[in-house]
Amino acid sequence: MEWWKSLFRKRALDAQLDSELRFHIEELTEANIAAGLTPEEARRRAVLEFGGREQIKEELRDVHRVSIVEGSLANLKSAFRFIRKSPSFSITVILTLALGIGANSAVFSAIDGILLRPLPFPNGDQLMELRQYNPKTRSPRTRLAPVRLEDWNRMNSTFQAITGYYTEDNSETSGPLPEKVTQAFVTPRFLQVWGISPALGRDFTREEEHFGGPNAILISDRFWRRRFGADPNALGKKLRVNGFSSSIVGVMPASFLFPDRDVDLWSAVPPDAPIAQSREWTWYLAIGRLKPGVTLEQARANLATVQKQLGIAFPKTDADLIVAIEPLKEMTIGGVRRSLLILYGSVSLLLLIACTNIVALLLARAAQRQHEISVRFSLGGSRTAIVSQLLTEVFVLALAGAGLGLVVANAASKVFRTLAADLPRIEEIGLNWRIVLYSLVCSVLATLICGLFPAICGTRRNVSSSLTQSSRTQVTTRNPLQWLLVGVQVALAVTLLAGAGLLLRSFQELGRVSPGFDASHVLTFHISASYAETADWKGLTQRIDRTIDSLGSLPGVETAATDGTLPGVPSHFQIELNFSEGQQDTERKIVAESRFVSPAYFATMRIPILSGELCRESPDSLKSINVMVNRSFANTYLGESTALGRHLQEVPISGLLPPGEIRGIVGDAREEGLHREPGPTVYWCTSASGPDPFYLIRTRTEPMAMAETVRQKIHEIEPARSVFNIAPLTDHLDEAFAENRLRTVLLAFFAATAVSLACVGLYGTLSYSVNVRRREVGLRLALGALQGQIVKQFLFQGLGVSFLGCVAGSVLAAAFARVLSGMLYGVSPTDVTTLLGVVVLVLGVAAVASLAPAIRAASVEPMQVLREE
Amino acid sequence: MTVQKSDLLQGTLDLLILKTVALGPVHGYGISQRIQQVSREALQVQQGSLYPALHRLEKRGWLQATWGESESGRQAKYYRLSAKGRKQLQIEESEWNRLSEAIGLVLRTAE
Repeated sequence: MEWWKSLFRKRALDAQLDSELRFHIEELTEANIAAGLTPEEARRRAVLEFGGREQIKEELRDVHRVSIVEGSLANLKSAFRFIRKSPSFSITVILTLALGIGANSAVFSAIDGILLRPLPFPNGDQLMELRQYNPKTRSPRTRLAPVRLEDWNRMNSTFQAITGYYTEDNSETSGPLPEKVTQAFVTPRFLQVWGISPALGRDFTREEEHFGGPNAILISDRFWRRRFGADPNALGKKLRVNGFSSSIVGVMPASFLFPDRDVDLWSAVPPDAPIAQSREWTWYLAIGRLKPGVTLEQARANLATVQKQLGIAFPKTDADLIVAIEPLKEMTIGGVRRSLLILYGSVSLLLLIACTNIVALLLARAAQRQHEISVRFSLGGSRTAIVSQLLTEVFVLALAGAGLGLVVANAASKVFRTLAADLPRIEEIGLNWRIVLYSLVCSVLATLICGLFPAICGTRRNVSSSLTQSSRTQVTTRNPLQWLLVGVQVALAVTLLAGAGLLLRSFQELGRVSPGFDASHVLTFHISASYAETADWKGLTQRIDRTIDSLGSLPGVETAATDGTLPGVPSHFQIELNFSEGQQDTERKIVAESRFVSPAYFATMRIPILSGELCRESPDSLKSINVMVNRSFANTYLGESTALGRHLQEVPISGLLPPGEIRGIVGDAREEGLHREPGPTVYWCTSASGPDPFYLIRTRTEPMAMAETVRQKIHEIEPARSVFNIAPLTDHLDEAFAENRLRTVLLAFFAATAVSLACVGLYGTLSYSVNVRRREVGLRLALGALQGQIVKQFLFQGLGVSFLGCVAGSVLAAAFARVLSGMLYGVSPTDVTTLLGVVVLVLGVAAVASLAPAIRAASVEPMQVLREE
Repeated sequence: MTVQKSDLLQGTLDLLILKTVALGPVHGYGISQRIQQVSREALQVQQGSLYPALHRLEKRGWLQATWGESESGRQAKYYRLSAKGRKQLQIEESEWNRLSEAIGLVLRTAE
């Protein structure tokens, strides 16, 4: 702890240095007296001979300084003094950095929470999602048959365990009113795979996982609080879900939100239940936990071997299947990665602009401080010492900026969480020590970027000495460097603005497409149901039809229908088909989007019937079914005239869909997503695409106004069922593009900030330049220059730099646009209109920012300026 | 550029100090006087170089310093060679000899 001692010893050291040097001078004096001089003269000579005592002492201190700590403390002190002395400058720097660092930290907190951190389960990186698929059909039926899941789990050697789940929205009826609950059905080993135990109670027992064993249920923390007020005595209580009574055996921790944040209950599905023995049923999404040290490739190879063996054992059902394994984290994050990285890039550019701005400010400042700096030099300060002191000033400012930035980041990430409520893992985003550390690193980087250059420039000896001499009588400083910085800021701002412009244009284009259906005045909702009902499709269909009929007869409702997926919300369900009659064209595959709709769907969505007639629901949809096709399907595969009456069937025949007879052709609609051109589509006319389709009603008035009426009606006809997720269709469409919109809004916000920062930079630099050249301007005015000329000169200086910045920015923007290209709709990445618009906008704002200083320059009073000298 | 504080090369000054101190404990004033006398006024050590050098050498552990009373009765800081400093003196001396011999050789051949 050498330096501590040295700190305490500092005073003692100073005294020692003093007496050592004094001794020398006294000895010299004495020698001079001995040589015959008067005492006064002797002393004078001695002092003269000895030379700069203070300077020597300073040097000696330098020798003894364990410099970093002590030097920094001194630097800190003088930095605070400096900040107090120039509050407006300091506040500008702090606010600029707070904005830059804050925005950066906010986006980083999202990146950290979503992309970087492992999933919130023990050894989350071992968790994999497993799917089966058939490369020969395009069917996305990637869920897993229960028996196959058990086979995989038994036969593999790379996973600790594999488990599966699916969810259903059900009604819980042990209370006074039926309550909608989201129930996850899970295979054995579920909690083992997650590595999580219940916060209260226990996991399922062996008996509970066997067919005929007791019905047990785990509840979520949320459900526990909502229903039982967090009473520990909830354990052992019974719940009644879909008519089955189960006892609560455990409460899961609040942090456990799997399969999604809405799950209320988990129930075990016995793998030995008779209903679970078919190899063709597809029930489960499978999750596996790798053994420690096993790589993804090893697991893939291992499961491929397992499935090959199954293919030999069960050629009919398993031969064509292959296994896909992906890290669960990747599957959870999905496409968000790119958006986040783009935002991060943009926000880093913003920080860079902020830093550039501060560099320009500091350069101007350094010019003003030349005097102070040269005084320091002449007092014997070394250049390193002065540079480190200047850096300390910036660092203190940056630190203050980062501190304030954290406040900004905290607020911003709250806004972010509200805006992006649908992003995966959004609840994991928050301020933590990693973000604080990140902000700190940002501030150090900002210090180096902002501070180093001005400090080095400002302490160039020749500059400082020349400037101390030159004083005000010299017309100097065209400062090309500051103008370069302004140009850089404008270029970066143009880059961001062009990116934001392209995204905005895409959004605008997207709003302009005519989707082929009418989403206004449509209310959507679900009615709770159980998959158990699919045992009797006929009964299920009748039940849903009854519901549709009574909904359709409600006053205020024009039509009511069901649909398997919501129109306009991106989804894909492509299947391969062929025609049952005529010769089979084996070369040409018929691939079409498949939708399951009740006949009234077309009227409800206002999709026109172009030819033929409206389909009718067949009494037994397992034997025969009516289908409608869209125009695109008819044109691509049939030709309009020959389409009607033909029969379509699925390839390969799964037995789930009977051959369908084409009854009519409807208009093309963008049901698979507003950004996608409508493709060939087949509508299977059945109201029961599953037990729980989307209900769509077209209302005469504002859709949400009908919500209560609908709820009451359903309670009247189906007292055991609950209605949930009631929302206008337009909300769903908005939500489908929430990420898109968030990206656009944020980028536009960053771009606007960037442009304002660049303008502040331009304004500041031009003002500074005007100040420095006041004398020159005054002189010229005195010599007869017109005010207009002066304004023009300064205005053009500002505009010229901005224009060059725009040119450079356009080049950068082209590169940026390439990154964005996958996210654009209806506008090309090199869209000239957007770029031109951006340039015109930036130049316009630059002109405004330049005008004020230019006018100020022209209003200089010549006589006054000249008298100042 | 920094002002030239001494015509002596820095390493040379260190050597001179070490050698002077090797003769016995001595204060800064004494060192400067002694170098001046011994060199017959040829070498003048500036205080601005001497004291930083002394403190540097002390810090390196080649010199040890104690406060004591001078002949004139005043408190003075006395420097003494440490064991480490003695070793360093040997090294520097032999290096100096080698260097001056080499320079002499060059000068003689050049004649």
